[in-house]
Amino acid sequence: MGTIPAEHALMLAALLFVLGAVGVLVRRDIIFILMSIEIMLNAAGLAFIASGYKWGQADGQVMFMFILTMAGAEVAVGLALALQFYRKQKTLDADSANKMRG
Amino acid sequence: MNASDLIDLFPLIIIASFAIIIMIVNIFYRKHEVNAVLAISGLLLAFMTTAGLFGSVPGRTANLLTIDSYALFFMGLFFAATLAITALSYGYNKTHEGSHEAFYILLLIAVLGSAVLAASSHFVSFFLGLEMLSISLYALIAYRRGERSNEAGIKYLVLAGLSSSFLLFGMALVYAQTGTMEFSEIASVSSASQVRSLAMSSGVLLIIVGAGFKLALVPFHMWTPDVYEGSPAPISAFVATVSKGAVFALILRFFTLIDIQADGRFFLVFTIIAVASMFTGNLLALYQNNIKRVLAYSSIAHLGYLLVAFLSNGALAITAVSFYLTAYFITIIGAFGVITVLSRADEEREFLDQYRGLAQTHPLLSGVFTAMLLSFAGIPLTAGFIGKFYLVSAGVNSALWLLIFSLVVNSAISIFYYLRIIAALYEAVPEKMIEIPLPLAGTIAISALMLMLMCLGIYPSQLIRLIQITAATLG
Repeated sequence: MGTIPAEHALMLAALLFVLGAVGVLVRRDIIFILMSIEIMLNAAGLAFIASGYKWGQADGQVMFMFILTMAGAEVAVGLALALQFYRKQKTLDADSANKMRG
Repeated sequence: MNASDLIDLFPLIIIASFAIIIMIVNIFYRKHEVNAVLAISGLLLAFMTTAGLFGSVPGRTANLLTIDSYALFFMGLFFAATLAITALSYGYNKTHEGSHEAFYILLLIAVLGSAVLAASSHFVSFFLGLEMLSISLYALIAYRRGERSNEAGIKYLVLAGLSSSFLLFGMALVYAQTGTMEFSEIASVSSASQVRSLAMSSGVLLIIVGAGFKLALVPFHMWTPDVYEGSPAPISAFVATVSKGAVFALILRFFTLIDIQADGRFFLVFTIIAVASMFTGNLLALYQNNIKRVLAYSSIAHLGYLLVAFLSNGALAITAVSFYLTAYFITIIGAFGVITVLSRADEEREFLDQYRGLAQTHPLLSGVFTAMLLSFAGIPLTAGFIGKFYLVSAGVNSALWLLIFSLVVNSAISIFYYLRIIAALYEAVPEKMIEIPLPLAGTIAISALMLMLMCLGIYPSQLIRLIQITAATLG
């Protein structure tokens, strides 16, 4: 069995990244927007692991650990804010966040 | 890692430990005054250590952080700015009961993140500093618990998360091409082997997008007015100054190393971004009735002005950026400071109509506000004038005529809406506004800012000399 070239893994990461970006733009539910951002962050993590593998270094995996930690922290704050949002608006529709304009 | 590394990291360690000290103290004793005093003393101590370290031999800590004069200058600037913001926040938070320990802890962590960014010379510290800064900001922006601040918090969270993922993916692509995450090694690899592949340039482009979101440059500026409007006024000042300044200090270091100005395509991208930011910011600010939104749009334009110096090359560019950032920090904190001292945590005074005739009841405040707005407009005798002068001379030095032209045109446009606010301040209104008692700490802070604004406008050479030491380490 041959090894998988790093470029293929990078391609997959790019695909996931685009998928996540489309999710952020298309979905209107705040929870799904947060999930799509997670997909984008993990795509970046996958790209780091693939590049670390390409150069035979552990740096890529170290970076992935940092990304995981940061994504966890971000989602913790994000869900707390989403909860508050739901309490006030009785919906999670991002389009109802329109109290400020101009 | 040895003892001298540890000494270089002292400012960062002090800030981090004061955040922890506040947490521990609050287990036993919860009082708003104690928390504010602890935060202020931590920042003061960190500022003094930074000043003490300034000019020492650059220290490198495990490749991640470079504590040189450039980093120390910006760290000192961020600490001083946060000091003023904390003093302003004290009176503001006092209008709402509670001990507000979370506010001060998060503020300290956020300024720690920006200090890390200023010293960062590696993708890992870049990322960690940025996230320390933004994750504390999510909570700080939504601190007021109202409908608008919650909305602002969510908007900032989604867009900052989006921008972080763009940034990370860009870093991953650059890492895939160069095999290193250290700035100076990336620079040497990319110049030696002429890595001009599609993956490399899209990586750099994604980093620009990520940083552009943080700096609120057009076309990534949409969050700015809403976040400024929804967050507490002192936090709007923090987002406008420390958060943007940190990212700018970092991209200046990074892109100066990889010599972005030499690459025609990126130069074009930045030129378009700069011109678009200036025009969009100033034109959208023209008919705003909410002062926080006016300041938001004008900050978009000011970051566009800064890009003029960013795109010119040589030591003059770094001098111009550093001076302009300092002037901009003083000015915008002063302007938000006036809003802060007039506001209560549950009801901010943010509309232009609420400022009509302010000069009759609060002559000091309207004087400070006028000085700040004149400095924004770049009128002589204020720091903003010297800053703009340096921007233009840096641009002329590199013959960036299009950018200078749009800078000049935009300065003229911007005078209109600054003068509109000043005219409202000095309007004669039939019924006087109710005079409210001003918080002491906040009044001292804005008076000090006003004094600094004038000093820098009349006698800037002291700061210029300091900045030239800074510029020498990077150039």
